[in-house]
Amino acid sequence: MYGWIWRHLPGNAWVKALLSLVLALAVVYVLFQYVFPWAEPLLPFNDVTVDNQ
Amino acid sequence: MAATTDHQEHTDTTPPAPRRRGMGPIATAISVFGELLITAGLILGLFVVYSLWWTNVIADRAADKQADKVRDNWAQNTGPGALDTGAGIGFLHVPAMKNGEVLVEKGTSTKILNDGVAGYYTDPVKATLPMSDKDGNFSLAAHRDGHGAKFHNIDKIEKGDPIVFETKDKWYVYKAYAILPETSKYNVKVLGAIPKESGKKKAGKYITLTTCTPVYTSRYRYVVWGELVRVEKVDGERTLPKELR
Repeated sequence: MYGWIWRHLPGNAWVKALLSLVLALAVVYVLFQYVFPWAEPLLPFNDVTVDNQ
Repeated sequence: MAATTDHQEHTDTTPPAPRRRGMGPIATAISVFGELLITAGLILGLFVVYSLWWTNVIADRAADKQADKVRDNWAQNTGPGALDTGAGIGFLHVPAMKNGEVLVEKGTSTKILNDGVAGYYTDPVKATLPMSDKDGNFSLAAHRDGHGAKFHNIDKIEKGDPIVFETKDKWYVYKAYAILPETSKYNVKVLGAIPKESGKKKAGKYITLTTCTPVYTSRYRYVVWGELVRVEKVDGERTLPKELR
């Protein structure tokens, strides 16, 4: 999978490394900004109130 | 550059290049599966970083902004500002938790609490605000971990420790008198006007802090009860009551 991505990135090793870094940062951004905030309330880690539900 | 040429030499002389082409379908499947597992591990690790660090960063940012707004509002001394409950009604100071002041807002929904504030209950049992001067229970909730983690050190509160609530013109000084280290999340009786589990039988002015326990989970709830000791007027310099000095 990662090998496939590496082979399909353009340029030499340096350009590929730079592009990989950019891609990784983009993935982290999407995770922190959209995926984790969505997933968090679905997980039982942060319910602090007492209630009837 | 040396590294890349070195690498090329390697691929020329060693088998990896031809092997790549000749990898069988089973080997490919296993390799992809392995990479997916590594990815899943990395994502879970990132989620921990997000929960325990990043949510604190954004929650503290939001809380600071809202606290500044409340302070500005108070300083301007405007009449209608005192009734503005949307932005926060005051600050909670618990020296034993060593976390400075915690802004208190209305409601205990995730959306409110995720801004790094404490919320007073409106549901399932409505909190009695100290400003109303009525007997009742001023019940609050805040996060134990992440999102500001304002009640992280709730277990450091001992009986007799002061819990001070600051409003625009009064300091409400409470004293912790009972602690329930573990209770069911369905135990709404802890929020009652007279919290019987704390040993009280008569109506009075109580404060209740709730959060989740043990740390990093939400299996149980941790409860601390306090009772109003005295009310002090805020002076011109907002001199702290002696419990906070």
